[in-house]
Amino acid sequence: MQIRRTTAVVAATVVTASLTLAACGSSKKSTGTANGNNGGSKKTLEIGFQGPLSVNSPQLGLNAEYGINVAIAEANAKGDLPYTLKIKTSDDQGSPDQGPTAAKALIDDPNVIAVVGPMFSGATKASEPGYTQANLLSVTPSATNPALTTLGFTTFFRLIPNDNNQGKGAADYIAKVLNAKKVFSLDDKSDYGTGLSTALEAELKTDGVAVTHDGINPTKDYSAEASKIISAKPDVLYYSGYYQDFSLLAKALRGAGFKGTLFSGDGSNDDQYISGAGKTVAEGTYLSCGCGDANSDPKAADFVKAVAADNSGAKPGTYSGEAYDATNSIISVLKGLGASPTRQQVVDAYKSVDYTGLTKEVKYDSTGEIEGNAIYIYQVKDGVRTVLGTTGDLIK
Amino acid sequence: MSGQEFWNFTVVGLVSGSIYAVIALGYTLVYGVLQLINFAHSEVFMLGSMGGLFMARALLPAGSPSVVQSVGIMVAGLVVGALSGGAAAFALERTAYRPLRRRGAPKLAYLISAIGASLFASNLAGKEFGRQDISLSPVFDYNHVVFTIFGAAVRALDLVIIGVGLLMLLFLDRLVAVTRLGQSIRAVAQDAETASLMGVNVERVIITTFVLGGLLAGAGGFLYAAKFSASYNMGFLPGITAFSAAVLGGIGNVRGAVLGGLLLGLVKSYSTKLIGAGYVDVVGFLALVLVLLIRPSGLLGERLGRAA
Repeated sequence: MQIRRTTAVVAATVVTASLTLAACGSSKKSTGTANGNNGGSKKTLEIGFQGPLSVNSPQLGLNAEYGINVAIAEANAKGDLPYTLKIKTSDDQGSPDQGPTAAKALIDDPNVIAVVGPMFSGATKASEPGYTQANLLSVTPSATNPALTTLGFTTFFRLIPNDNNQGKGAADYIAKVLNAKKVFSLDDKSDYGTGLSTALEAELKTDGVAVTHDGINPTKDYSAEASKIISAKPDVLYYSGYYQDFSLLAKALRGAGFKGTLFSGDGSNDDQYISGAGKTVAEGTYLSCGCGDANSDPKAADFVKAVAADNSGAKPGTYSGEAYDATNSIISVLKGLGASPTRQQVVDAYKSVDYTGLTKEVKYDSTGEIEGNAIYIYQVKDGVRTVLGTTGDLIK
Repeated sequence: MSGQEFWNFTVVGLVSGSIYAVIALGYTLVYGVLQLINFAHSEVFMLGSMGGLFMARALLPAGSPSVVQSVGIMVAGLVVGALSGGAAAFALERTAYRPLRRRGAPKLAYLISAIGASLFASNLAGKEFGRQDISLSPVFDYNHVVFTIFGAAVRALDLVIIGVGLLMLLFLDRLVAVTRLGQSIRAVAQDAETASLMGVNVERVIITTFVLGGLLAGAGGFLYAAKFSASYNMGFLPGITAFSAAVLGGIGNVRGAVLGGLLLGLVKSYSTKLIGAGYVDVVGFLALVLVLLIRPSGLLGERLGRAA
């Protein structure tokens, strides 16, 4: 892997410079939302957020930030905490290489008492040792690689079903509802992508579906891979990766005449997929996710309004609701901890959290996995992502 | 691989290969003249691509464009893309290289300067144009099958990319071979000092060379953005591939860059099918290493200085 090394050297240089830029960017951003500062006398504590705000599918990071902003604004408006809360963002670019540095920025700030994130599995795996060492609570709204809760991270909680659930749910849907005989499973070779494709392929094989596997590093030029997929003649293509790459892949596939069904996971479950691929290409695409959709959930109408109000008109996207619940569940714990909670106290109290949130009941098992594992299937209909239901309801 | 599949992958490889070739020319020209690897060339490609893309987006009508409009938009995109690339290359040479040359800096300083300029340009673009992918809705029916070779479809946009690519390559090849400008470029490449004694304005040749490379990369960037998409960090992968294409063909050699670009495009395309998409870059560089083991100066040798 000679090339990887040269790339790494160049990348390292790139990163140093972009970090400097990112640092300027995030410090600016964090002041924007916590303006509900009532009374200058209260001190300020911070909830950290680590996620991709540039480079790799940054919309997913923004979605989560929207949710956190709403939760913090609501808590400050209520004013029943003895301090003012503020968000502190740290951009990890969705990349494992950047994870530890981004985590360090939050760990080294004594005002940060808990963290929402990291968001992507690779970055999470690289960042969690730091959080564990610092006894800093880290609640991910989105990192779904199954192994993450088995690596001895003591302050890590996952607010979303992991990819063993998602892979199984999606595979059963493909086998039993779409009645596919042959599936091409492609992943992006990331921690998230490989975890999801492994779970998916295992269940597909159990269901008696023929599977072709391939992995491709994210690129813009998917034309060769598209030819390869088409020549394998699958009924369904399942892509385990993020929307930015999936939209290019979908465009290349449809452009080269692919007639099968397009299917992807939570990493691609965002409206940016539709705008990236174009409505014609995206039409009919299925998406699986351990997350519900706030925009179409009547219970979440107030949340949708609040997201727009607190984030200059933005619409909630994938993980906005989960990040909102993650923040609120942390806040619910903070209420019992007095004026100066320590990181250790927050972690200890969070272990037994039981909070009824917008998307689910937030309650964890002893490994930090969320209890309850509903997987939702979405489909793009008339250019809009529409929830079809949970796999439990759809597979009879 | 069946026959039809083989041709499918050949078409795919030629399309990406033509774009690599167009970018590779920028590396090769500058190297020929200055013995300098212009690592910021990938950002010239990116900026050209953005220029062309924004032009085309501005011109694109709300409905589906007529044939005349389509052609007009494509030409405008290519021209503005080329001009943006040329302007970026000009600015790059003036700010990152010329001050160093004036002070007689060592070669290593140029390399650092190039990397710095490259980082600056891509982050500036990220700040100005956003960090999401930027795509262009189809200007014409890209996927219309124009003809088939042995069952493999050749689609409209692919034909445009290969066609425009080849035209530009031919144009550059002739420019270097027969014009007065080409003559002075070759003279400087051979021996800058002697050339200047013979009355060649070396500074002007250098800046022209940079701009020429920028024009090509910018136009290539527009084609790339039309086929795939553009983003502030889009330059890195094609840039590094094109650089290896230039080395593969013999850096400093115009025809070598073209050959190297097309070959790398084909090798990557075939190996996607035969070995697996995860290994295409490995295979690409393996091919480069093997060629360099047997022919250390590349397939066609380093020879911008000699008559092409």
